[in-house]
Amino acid sequence: MSGFLKILENEVQIAALSFMAVVYILRLAWIFHFRTRRDRTFAVGRASAGAGYSLLNIAMPRAMESTRKRPGFYAQFVVFHVGVAAAIAGTLIIPYAPGLFDRRPVVLLFQGLIAAAFVVGIVRLVRRLNNPVLRSVSSPDDYFSLVLLIVWFAAAVLAVPNRPENGEGPLIAYFALTAFFLVYVPFSKICHYLYYPFTRYYLGRSLGHRGAFPPAQAGGVRKARGKERA
Amino acid sequence: MKRRKTGPSGVVEAPLDPRTQARAKEEGLASVEAGRLRTYELGDNSRRFLELLGSRVSRPLAVSLTACVHCGLCAESCHYFLARPDDPTMTPVWKADQIRKIFKRHIDWTGRVAPWWVKAGSPRDDEDLNRLKNIVFGTCSACRRCTYNCPMGVDTGLLVRFARGLLTELGVVPEGVFNVSRDQWETGNQMAVSEQDYLETLEWMRDDVRTELGDDSVEIPVDREGCDILYTINPREIKFDPRSIAQAAKIFHLAGASWTMPKWGWDQTNFGLFSGDDKLGAFVARNVYEAAERLRAKRIVISECGHGYRSTRWEGYTWAGFDQKLPTESVVVTLKRYIEEGRIAVDPSKNPDAVTFHDSCNIARSGDLVEEPRDVLRRVCADFREMYPNRRENFCCTGGGGLLSMAEYRPLRLEVGKIKADQLRATGAKLVCTMCHNCIDGLNDVIKHYKLPMRVVQVLELVSNALVLPAKGA
Amino acid sequence: MPTIEVEGITVEVNEEGFLAHPEAWTEETARLLAKAEEGLDELTAEHWAVVKFIRGYYLEKNLAPMVRKMCQATGFSLMKIYDLFPSGPAKGACKVAGLPKPDGCV
Repeated sequence: MSGFLKILENEVQIAALSFMAVVYILRLAWIFHFRTRRDRTFAVGRASAGAGYSLLNIAMPRAMESTRKRPGFYAQFVVFHVGVAAAIAGTLIIPYAPGLFDRRPVVLLFQGLIAAAFVVGIVRLVRRLNNPVLRSVSSPDDYFSLVLLIVWFAAAVLAVPNRPENGEGPLIAYFALTAFFLVYVPFSKICHYLYYPFTRYYLGRSLGHRGAFPPAQAGGVRKARGKERA
Repeated sequence: MKRRKTGPSGVVEAPLDPRTQARAKEEGLASVEAGRLRTYELGDNSRRFLELLGSRVSRPLAVSLTACVHCGLCAESCHYFLARPDDPTMTPVWKADQIRKIFKRHIDWTGRVAPWWVKAGSPRDDEDLNRLKNIVFGTCSACRRCTYNCPMGVDTGLLVRFARGLLTELGVVPEGVFNVSRDQWETGNQMAVSEQDYLETLEWMRDDVRTELGDDSVEIPVDREGCDILYTINPREIKFDPRSIAQAAKIFHLAGASWTMPKWGWDQTNFGLFSGDDKLGAFVARNVYEAAERLRAKRIVISECGHGYRSTRWEGYTWAGFDQKLPTESVVVTLKRYIEEGRIAVDPSKNPDAVTFHDSCNIARSGDLVEEPRDVLRRVCADFREMYPNRRENFCCTGGGGLLSMAEYRPLRLEVGKIKADQLRATGAKLVCTMCHNCIDGLNDVIKHYKLPMRVVQVLELVSNALVLPAKGA
Repeated sequence: MPTIEVEGITVEVNEEGFLAHPEAWTEETARLLAKAEEGLDELTAEHWAVVKFIRGYYLEKNLAPMVRKMCQATGFSLMKIYDLFPSGPAKGACKVAGLPKPDGCV
């Protein structure tokens, strides 16, 4: 392994991560500088229960009509984000726990997960380019972020076997893209995962206080959505 | 002279009509002079808009503005888009983006440095503000169905209200919004009903109930102190259809309730919810809360009204900065209690027609009442059936967000009412019951436009019909 | 300006079916509006009592009368007004009497 790759896998990543962490802290400070207002009403339900239910939303596709009606879309979401997790894990495994990738089944698993995410990425890019609704709202950041992820997935699939002796190209691409990605993320929509806890928490608390979240809290038996059982 | 351009829906180009505003200024109305009721003035409104935006964004709003990932899942939850699937400007994400892009341009960092990269932009002039007005007042009923269907938890309904509030502060509002706000500021109620008219109507209804029950002890007390219930109503009940007041009086009498209505602070509706004006919201809500305090009532009861319920029961306390001290409930909950406690007797066979229930957005999605009206309806109707989807997933009646007072948006509203019409038709019911006066009119418009063989009723009417009167002399 | 067509005659109305030019109202207009908007094929003397009262009140005070006044002046109960005009006093009777649409969420 060349010295260049070693630094790229290690110091450069740490620098990028640190930069991202600093920017995230600034971003969080920015979010917290906006004020909230206290709810002065009697509660019907528990705000904390509402917040919990709301935060779990991504794990509950049957909770919302939109994901219930589009289970394929939800499945794509899961595959894509599992791939992201795998690809990020790879950037930590390769420099710090490379023994894991000496085992062929592990490599195949990671490649499989990331390749599936790659396919979903392409599907989503095609959708974003063709669907008139998405075209009407998508910005250059939306397209670029998706393309960046897709290319990164491809690099990850090729790099994860971790064989620099067979050519350092994929590994260099993988780590360089990761470093770029870490620096770019705080300024793009990709850091939506930072906002997710906030939006869901505030919505959940408000609706939880009013007994609207979770749905069964309002009292009475929770009826099946759709056809009602007699 | 109004001139309409056709666009995807034509609504975006509806011009700003300042005539009634000009009249209000000429007449020197107190609320205009005091700066409470805002009017449109020539000037750098775009800059003022941006200043207001910056000063008013709260944390829940800020995160709703940043968290959207443009996934498009909200599109199919909105009746505007479902009825016009070739029109992306009808989707919640597109509508929210019209506000979001301004936030990104002026407050969010990437948008400030490289606006084109995140599609950020500013309103350039009053024309742009007017277009925004048409979008947030005319293409959305703020029903929050999209909020409930967003995986990120972006609250587009809240964003729309926020944008409306900014525009209201600048007087860039539809004429109907200005007129109703003016009436509520000036007279304390949404329909400029005078105190004399109010009191006389109450007396008239009291006399009607006395005649109907053959009982001269029936009362509609006004400003009586120390009662259990302070009953507050929708001005529409005074001005156009007081039957619901008579129904309530009858039921309270039979239940032996200790109740009163206030002389001032009787309007539970609140146009501040629709115009986005927290000041108006606070003023109106506070009138009710202070009336209850003044009369030492033990409970505030709100007649059937969707936005009135949400405003008086929930939002009003926050707007007015008033800590809730008294139970505040919908009259439907009061009715439920009376039936369950046996204080009134009801016979469901007196309502034989098939009835379905329309959940109002402000009561179900933004409030807590979903099972309570059903509990009542099952006791007073012989044939109750659900529509689908229902409860918090129900579709808006199309009349939400104050749209009923904005005539220029009616054609689009009726067009997208197709979704509601299909829902109603599928139930096969003759009656559709709802707890909201706006829904009554919204549903009536849909029924008439789509020629459905149905009638709209409220819970009070069905309960009143089902009453089993005690035998005379008992 | 939208219009409705009744018996081959065109009447200019606003988006809600209220007369676009209240000052142009005639009894014939009332008949046409009643047919088109309320589904009433003919107007009885009782209908006219209500319509004439509303029209007179509006011309004098430039306001729609409260439904109580309508009942007092005509001697009809509220139920009767709803029987006569299914859309009710505001959307039904006032519309037929050629008034502009009343303000408010109605």
